[in-house]
Amino acid sequence: MSILPATDAFVKEPVRGGRRRLPSWKLAVGAAIVGAFVLIAIFAPEIAPYGPLKTDPLNTLQPPGAPGHLLGTDDLGRDELSRLIYATRIDLPIAAAAALLSALLGTLLGMAAGYVGGWVDMVVLRVADLVQAFPIYILLIALVFALGAGARSFLIAYIVVDWVVYARLVRGEILRVRGLDYVLAARAAGLPNWRILFVHVLPNTIGQSVVYVMSDMVFAILALSAFSFLGVGISPPAAEWGAMTAEGQQFLGVAWWLTVCPGVAIALVALGLSLIGDALQDRMRR
Amino acid sequence: MGRFAFVGKRLLALVPLLLGIVFVVFLLLKITPGNPAREAVGLRASPQAVAQAARTMGLDESVPGQFLHYLDDAIHGNLGYSFKTNSPVIDVLKPQIPVTAWLIVVGVMLSLLISVPLAVGAALRPDGLVDHVVRGLSVFALSMPIFWVGIMLITVIALPTGALPVGGFGHGFLGHLRAIVLPALTTAIALSPVLVRSLRATVIEVLESEYVSAARSLGVSGPRLVRRFVMRNALSPMITLLAVQTGYFLFAAVIVETTFNLPGLGQGLVSAVDNEDFPLVQGYTLVFAVAIVVIYLVADVVVALLDPRVVVEG
Repeated sequence: MSILPATDAFVKEPVRGGRRRLPSWKLAVGAAIVGAFVLIAIFAPEIAPYGPLKTDPLNTLQPPGAPGHLLGTDDLGRDELSRLIYATRIDLPIAAAAALLSALLGTLLGMAAGYVGGWVDMVVLRVADLVQAFPIYILLIALVFALGAGARSFLIAYIVVDWVVYARLVRGEILRVRGLDYVLAARAAGLPNWRILFVHVLPNTIGQSVVYVMSDMVFAILALSAFSFLGVGISPPAAEWGAMTAEGQQFLGVAWWLTVCPGVAIALVALGLSLIGDALQDRMRR
Repeated sequence: MGRFAFVGKRLLALVPLLLGIVFVVFLLLKITPGNPAREAVGLRASPQAVAQAARTMGLDESVPGQFLHYLDDAIHGNLGYSFKTNSPVIDVLKPQIPVTAWLIVVGVMLSLLISVPLAVGAALRPDGLVDHVVRGLSVFALSMPIFWVGIMLITVIALPTGALPVGGFGHGFLGHLRAIVLPALTTAIALSPVLVRSLRATVIEVLESEYVSAARSLGVSGPRLVRRFVMRNALSPMITLLAVQTGYFLFAAVIVETTFNLPGLGQGLVSAVDNEDFPLVQGYTLVFAVAIVVIYLVADVVVALLDPRVVVEG
């Protein structure tokens, strides 16, 4: 399915019919990075040499390359590589869920606001205004605090703040599309509203949101690790990249690998997602 | 509309916004699980002591009554008392403000030093070599976690050279300055990619405008064109841009202060969260939110004073 926004060229045959283009190098590299991390997350128990919480009091703070420990060990003798690998099972799904659930909620509310209009539109817009009037980062911190540390709080706080972007994007697109010929034709043909909305309108309006989901996931993964670093996200001893960095910071002078490695992992995933987002954006612009 | 009317209108619009902020911050305490009166007197206190604490904290009032009370106190600078130390919230916050102010002022200066040349260089030849390098760098910088950038600067600069402190705020003006360099640089690295992206677009827009074409046709070119015609007109969008990023800046400050152990508002907020000190967290949230709103206002007013076109359009 094409992610191109509806233009006049698509009115006769919306969505299907976008010309195939060669994937750009950005898309290829980004997808390779993200795909590799997803595979690592799925096969973590098979790949990781040790368990993420397995301590070894005899081999603490081993440097990278020590026998049996490719990336060294931490102060409890836990294998750094294994912890990095297992962390993909925390960071990736939570960040993805935060962005995707926000997208889902925002898209539904934006659709309702744009298509139904009237008081639904007004309520959605006013609530969106209220959320956006508040400085979002501070709201995020305050919400995470009010809800307590943990994945659930992070998800709730993130969605409360983030759905607004999608709702506005989708609402704006729907207002633009709903007067176009093919929608009017669908209406005249007597198709039920839900069918028009989900089959004909939605695919032509979510292009921008799809692009935004990518940068949103970047932000979600950075936010999750930052909150965990600050001690209000995922708490130790769970293997999470931000929390691991915070733990490693105590050993800055003696064990640089404990802080360098998790940051590289975060930056790599974020980079991969940014590249995919950039590639999609380039496609939409053309 | 005159300039003063414009400023007045913006000031008036501020009132409902501030009220809304105070209301949301007040609600935060209400949605927080647990009984604040119980928290204040401790788990082993008798029911009478808890009830007594609830009375002194005004918790026996109706919720709207509590809100009005809270609003009245906040207007008078009374943000409540810390659960842990019992000292007024405002007294806890006050000594931390200069630290965060240092971080932000030096951080903004470094951000501009980094992002303005990069953005102008990229904008002068869109899709040129410089543009591609700058855009690539931005994507990289945006992918790095802020706290990690700080730790890397400590590892690579502070620890091996010993020239700059690893953390803390130092003593005296020079001590503060030395202590703030790396945190400010970290903040600048986090903020610059965002600034570069928007600045680049602004400069390109200015370069394509008619007055720049006119200046060019009169033979103005090179650095003179950039300074006199382009930067002058890019100045007000730049101020707005910086103001819009204040929220992100404070978020970065929270992380950077924790990373570098700087005793500012951000670190204060994190330790208040760790201590589950509700009134303190409320106080920080309120101060941050109000600061952001006020900075928006100041930026709007400054832009209006610098650039008469804004007032006409507004």
